[in-house]
Amino acid sequence: MNKEKVADRLYIVLRILCIAALMSLFIPAINPARISGLISKTSSVFTCGTSYSALTKNFIRAFSRGWVGTLTMQMVFGGSLCMIIGFAATAAGGCMSLGSNKLKKLGTIPSVVGAAVALIGCFMINWAANDIQGTPNPDRVEPMKPTSITLFIVIAVLILVISAAIFVLLPKVGKDDKCHIETKYQLFLLFLPFLALCIVFSYLPLLGWRYAFFDYKSGQSLSAENFAGLKWFKFLFQNPATRSDLVRVIRNTLAMSGLGLATSWCSMAFAIFLCEIKNLKFRRIVQTFTTIPNFISWVLVYAVAFAIFSTDGFVSSLLVNAGVIDTGTNFLMDNSHMWIKMLLWGMWKGLGWNAIIYIAAISGIDQQLYEAASIDGAGRFQKMWNITVPSLIPTFMVLLLMAIAGILNNGMDQYLVFETPYNTNTITVLDLYVYKLGINSGQISLSTVVGMFKSVISVILLFGANKVSKIMRGESII
Amino acid sequence: MAMTKQEKLDRKAEALYEKKHKNRYRKSAGDRTFDILNHAFFLIFTIMCIFPFYYIFINTISDNDLVRKGAINFIPRGIHLGNYVSMMNVGDVGTALMVTVGRTILGTVLMVLASGFVGYLVTKQEMWGRKVWYRCLIITMYFNAGLIPWYLNMSMLGLTNSFWAYIIPGIVAPYNIILVKTYIESIPAELEESAMIDGASYMTIFRKLIWPLSKPILATIAIFGAVGNWNSFTDSLILMPDAPALHTLQHKLYTYLNAATNLKSVMNSGSGSVTGAAAANVLNAKTIKYTISMVTVLPILMVYPFMQRYFEKGIMLGAVKG
Repeated sequence: MNKEKVADRLYIVLRILCIAALMSLFIPAINPARISGLISKTSSVFTCGTSYSALTKNFIRAFSRGWVGTLTMQMVFGGSLCMIIGFAATAAGGCMSLGSNKLKKLGTIPSVVGAAVALIGCFMINWAANDIQGTPNPDRVEPMKPTSITLFIVIAVLILVISAAIFVLLPKVGKDDKCHIETKYQLFLLFLPFLALCIVFSYLPLLGWRYAFFDYKSGQSLSAENFAGLKWFKFLFQNPATRSDLVRVIRNTLAMSGLGLATSWCSMAFAIFLCEIKNLKFRRIVQTFTTIPNFISWVLVYAVAFAIFSTDGFVSSLLVNAGVIDTGTNFLMDNSHMWIKMLLWGMWKGLGWNAIIYIAAISGIDQQLYEAASIDGAGRFQKMWNITVPSLIPTFMVLLLMAIAGILNNGMDQYLVFETPYNTNTITVLDLYVYKLGINSGQISLSTVVGMFKSVISVILLFGANKVSKIMRGESII
Repeated sequence: MAMTKQEKLDRKAEALYEKKHKNRYRKSAGDRTFDILNHAFFLIFTIMCIFPFYYIFINTISDNDLVRKGAINFIPRGIHLGNYVSMMNVGDVGTALMVTVGRTILGTVLMVLASGFVGYLVTKQEMWGRKVWYRCLIITMYFNAGLIPWYLNMSMLGLTNSFWAYIIPGIVAPYNIILVKTYIESIPAELEESAMIDGASYMTIFRKLIWPLSKPILATIAIFGAVGNWNSFTDSLILMPDAPALHTLQHKLYTYLNAATNLKSVMNSGSGSVTGAAAANVLNAKTIKYTISMVTVLPILMVYPFMQRYFEKGIMLGAVKG
């Protein structure tokens, strides 16, 4: 009895170690397989062990000149692969530990074997690291001591020892024992792969926020040397150039989102007026065709704009044919009233689609209300104004609150495709600014800071809108 | 709007009644003006929505020389399909089309399978820590780390310049999971209970019972997923800088719309592959741009009218919450 309790405690440590081992396979900063400066700085054990061609991408010259033997790199690849397989096996063992006694006992086998395989992988990489030290051209190859290998060895040894200890501590398997996992853990294990995907792609990026505190240049690694503290946060507000950029960008963002908010009633009006058309066939056709633009990408919207408004587009050729102008003009290069134009394109794309939710709401209104109003002598517009509009207001308020919460997220697609050197001052919104700053100019740290501010403010706005909704309607929107 | 039979009958009766009593319910002059203006507005807006696609289309099938002169505005002339043929042969549009079709099919299938399965799992109260894990999934809809951390994460995982960057991150889609979960919860619990009593396992119940029953919602998320995959552009733009062969059709279109140099090379190789008889139909900058646009938009234009009810169902489902 007491032994089992000890085993249970050990299991907690074992599971944590398994998770840590798996995670560390994905972190480039502690990649022990990076034994040479020629291996990319962003590669992790996982990338090293899954793609030999990616691993040896920069080694073509090193191989042909004999600076590095192919065997060395194959050892690195094999070692990484062993570590991946080994730690995956220990993780499988950890999953089996959620089952019955027999399954637990069985589960120690993949744990022990996996840990042993991972250890072999570690030694293979260590051998390769020692081997590469003797390269004839250390300046080019930049051999490195993989100090982080100790960490992996420690983890593997711990897993090995603990698994073995658990195997001894667990009671013997009886003859009638069966492999069985409790329902609640069974369901959890089925869910686990998807949870892992979610964590890897949605939570792991949060680690990237640490770049905001470093002087990071693409391809470098983070270390105590380039730790910058709050430098970029101060820089953003103190540097006159970035400060004026930021002011301009925020003004654009708020202006265009604000115009969107101010015209959000249009889709409601669209729906109300559409429902006034009694010819169902016509209504059907209108609805089908006006919703199509919502399903094409912004690039295609730009293609449409291009076909209609560019130098040799529809409008130009019409005007030329009519003799109004001599040669075609590119209306897309005209940078006046950019905010309004963006709003109009947004409406062209979204109006019909946004109206659908209101049309559904209108068909849900009690017809007796209209009949009663008719009897009381209400005209068509009175009915629209006094019955339809008030019935739609709750829907409108929800959508409006959501739009307010998303005021900073106007996306970058639309503004990226319509951007020209002439209108960039009035069109750059926050999302586009972050993209250009980070991806195009390589200012990773600074753009991360801007992105952080945006994320945090967005969440605050969302919860604020939610609170307002709770107070006003007694219902939350998220 | 889908209408029930009864509603249709009612409408008919109403119309008949109005016809009979036309004199009594004669519309006022103001009413009539409003009706005319209203019809006119919707007619114009509909034309505005659909005409650009028609305009692009007639320009891709008309005589290329006339197109270059800007003579094709309303009616196609000198119809030929050469542009589409040459477009597939020259340049890298064919590859981009393959990549886009591939990611649309694979990405959508995996997303639907995963959403169906996870949506079912999270309805199971028995699951260990269900509430916590479910919240973990849902929060990601409202919060993200931002573009740059996302990019750094993807490159850390070795997903830059790799086809899998299109597929793997899209497998777990929280919003779709919510939709499926809500739908499954509306299926009577007795069905599942009786299957349980008959000794069916969770997997069997999912395969034989839940999956077939939730087909309507799965079709809806499939269609939205497919459109999203087909239209996605930023992931290709940001994650594939060194792998032009992996650019999606939207990305290709963007490049062609912007770059003049690109067009020259295509035109040169294009004119080589076009034989003498079709010499008049040599691709020019305008037709190339239009043809790629059409290739990119055509699947959506063709699929949309048939799938419209699924799309509309989708937005109505948007009202549900986790």
